[in-house]
Amino acid sequence: MVLFEIKNLSFSYPNQSEKVLSNINLKIEQGDFVSVCGKSGCGKSTLIKHFKSSSAPYGKLEGNIFYKGKDINDVDDRTQAFEIGYVTQNPDNQIVTDKVWHEMAFGLENLGLDLQTMRIRISEMASYFGIQNWFEKNVSELSGGQKQILNLASVMAMHPEILILDEPTSQLDPIASTEFLHTLKRLNLEFGTTILIIEHRLEDVFPISDKILMMDKGEVIAYDTPKNIGEKLKDNDMFVTFPTPVQIYAKLGQVGECPLTIRDGRKWLDKYIEENNINVNETFLDVNQSNQESNNSKNVIEAKNVWFRYDKNGNDIVKGLNLEVKENEIFCILGGNGTGKSTTLSLLSSVNKPYRGKILIDGKDINKYKSNELFNGTLAMLPQNPQTLFVSDTVENDLLEMFSTMKISKAEKEEKLKQVIEETEISNLLKSHPYDLSGGEQQRVALAKILLLNPKIIFLDEPTKSLDGFYKNKLAKILNKMKQNGRTFLIVSHDVEFCAKNADTCAMFFNGNLVTKQKTREFFIGNNFYTTATNRMARHIFKNAVVIEDVIKLCEKN
Amino acid sequence: MKDTFSTYHPIVNFIFYIFVLGISMFFMHPIFIIISGVGALSYVFYLKGKKAIFVVFAIAFPTFLLSAILNPLFSHQGMTTLFYLKSGNPITLESIVYGIVAGITIAIVVLWFSSFNQVMTSDKFIYLFGKIIPAISLILSMVFRFVPRFTEQLKKVSYSQKCIGRDVTDGNFLQKVKQGIKIISIMITWALENSVETADSMRSRGYGLRGRSHFHTYNFEKRDICVITIMAVCFIWILIGVITKQIFVLYYPLYSINQLSVYSLLSYILYFILCFLPLFLNVVEDIKWYYLKSKI
Repeated sequence: MVLFEIKNLSFSYPNQSEKVLSNINLKIEQGDFVSVCGKSGCGKSTLIKHFKSSSAPYGKLEGNIFYKGKDINDVDDRTQAFEIGYVTQNPDNQIVTDKVWHEMAFGLENLGLDLQTMRIRISEMASYFGIQNWFEKNVSELSGGQKQILNLASVMAMHPEILILDEPTSQLDPIASTEFLHTLKRLNLEFGTTILIIEHRLEDVFPISDKILMMDKGEVIAYDTPKNIGEKLKDNDMFVTFPTPVQIYAKLGQVGECPLTIRDGRKWLDKYIEENNINVNETFLDVNQSNQESNNSKNVIEAKNVWFRYDKNGNDIVKGLNLEVKENEIFCILGGNGTGKSTTLSLLSSVNKPYRGKILIDGKDINKYKSNELFNGTLAMLPQNPQTLFVSDTVENDLLEMFSTMKISKAEKEEKLKQVIEETEISNLLKSHPYDLSGGEQQRVALAKILLLNPKIIFLDEPTKSLDGFYKNKLAKILNKMKQNGRTFLIVSHDVEFCAKNADTCAMFFNGNLVTKQKTREFFIGNNFYTTATNRMARHIFKNAVVIEDVIKLCEKN
Repeated sequence: MKDTFSTYHPIVNFIFYIFVLGISMFFMHPIFIIISGVGALSYVFYLKGKKAIFVVFAIAFPTFLLSAILNPLFSHQGMTTLFYLKSGNPITLESIVYGIVAGITIAIVVLWFSSFNQVMTSDKFIYLFGKIIPAISLILSMVFRFVPRFTEQLKKVSYSQKCIGRDVTDGNFLQKVKQGIKIISIMITWALENSVETADSMRSRGYGLRGRSHFHTYNFEKRDICVITIMAVCFIWILIGVITKQIFVLYYPLYSINQLSVYSLLSYILYFILCFLPLFLNVVEDIKWYYLKSKI
């Protein structure tokens, strides 16, 4: 049965001639798991907002949307509230009330159900989602992942036919997002709930989707099963964000149904190597090349036996940390949640003080810097949520604000501003309100703001958290360009793939200390689990392959 | 410490405080004051442990002192004049006594309220008021959600600002104020921005449809009826006593009090039961648990 049918849908915002959506035709079958992908600003959010009249944006609309064969505007509000569930990006903003149980009841109260029905539905959903242990808690005590599960549960309590989700995992860490997506799949399999999700973690979403809907510039460019879609989009610039097996498969010129998971990828690669008689010879990879250059440069960050805890009776968060970051390198610290990575950054930026040990920044003891000296030309930090850096109503004012404490001439200011805007590619955003920008744009503006302080060392806390693959690459390009200008980066991240592509040195953080620290390639080759998808897929053949290009190169040269 | 009285239905908790606070505030009979005072004090200590000392000495005692000193200075009623002030106003024994009694009364009310805060948690409050004015309960709940979120975001923003050398605690006074205003203004933008999304989420979940109902997790049990009955009997007995002047107290013009009679003695006992009810319930529960444990 067709649940949603869209016919010739076009849409433009008021007073704008450009169409955000143009001529979209689409059918969504009941029980399907459909993932919507595309670059930021391609109109995917606008599209799915039209699936519910209460969230539909204002503007000029042409064409029709049919829900169960009926025009969506003729479906009454009560049915829509009941049957079409909606979960958005920010877990906090969707939560209305202060208690977990009250939040779960909120939708049911609106529908005017009686107490007994509500109790049954809520207890059912609470047990299904594993909420019973924190059922009585305040919402503010929950983690981001728990909040998003709560949002899902409170929508599911209304027994919707279809769940529409707009990047629900973008604010979550990798473990919580994988868990969230699995919960969705379980709902899909066990209740037959139709799911329409916008998601940029394609590697997680590809194996569980029935259909992938690819959008670009307001148009649907492909709508097909995950196994077949790779072939069609080989030349699109979003292809770099596809799962590793899909990319390798297509880049080696294969056609037909492609592997989606690492397991299938391994099987296929074995077969491919055998059929094409490829010898396993890795001399084409220059494994040791990058090693020599940086060995003789000096340390800009040095931590010696640093210990830290938040209060005297608390547990140690950082335990005897030793860290050396060389000048002009990108140093990545990887590690799970709550291992003390972010706390380490706060120590290195002198927001918190260690109770034992020594920290040298640029060869000078961190305590010998006067109050603002450290942040003027030496060090700056890009926080996890770049939004927290903004204080003005336009991007331009926000950048100008940075000059308020500096004593430099107007010409100098303009010169500097121009240079920074160019470097971070934000010239088209200057007049916007910083809060109106997308995650990727906010990040670049925040970076620009920091660059005005002209720091030698930049700390980045989870820089890829809410970015899609396309913006990740853009960020990587900018970072590499700035590195050539002599800056040093210390990045704390969960994102294995990003670090593998861009870092010079990687280190693993666990239980308050660095466990290993090596050159990037050696680091990932040495790990079994905490390594890139490419490495996991190809390591039984090519031991040293870390990124997709390695495998392609090896296969083609041999 | 788990308080048994708090586990009763919110309406029981609420009625208890109305009765006790009502009698304490409007009936300043010395024996009643002693009973209520000891009851309030012991319940606060039971709930808060050592922290209660702070409540007693930092909040309750100063309010008592204030009233005890101010009343004789401003009130000159009473028959027994002790001496005259320079301005020619008399200081009377009655006004001193009344000041002390009123002071104790206010201190007792403060003590009751400090336990009230612990017993009547936000969700009970919301539940009770939701029955009377439905819209208020949702607004209250949203406020309770908003406040901790706002402070958390404020912390994050000041942390980020610190990391680019924009610390609120740095620089001269003018710079501090400037930076403070900047942060507050962006926080307001942030709050407004987010409220749009919250409103969307509310609408998408059917807020504004006709016939909103109310969910709660409370059950009205037999024990709630029992406790309400006990409280009602106590209260009504005392009320009748006050109306029929079986129990009374007069401070002006001359201090006088009712004679000890069967009715008044019973009133004291019933008031004692009322004020110590939460503690009784706790003790009964503790004994029950002691026996349950020894059986295991």
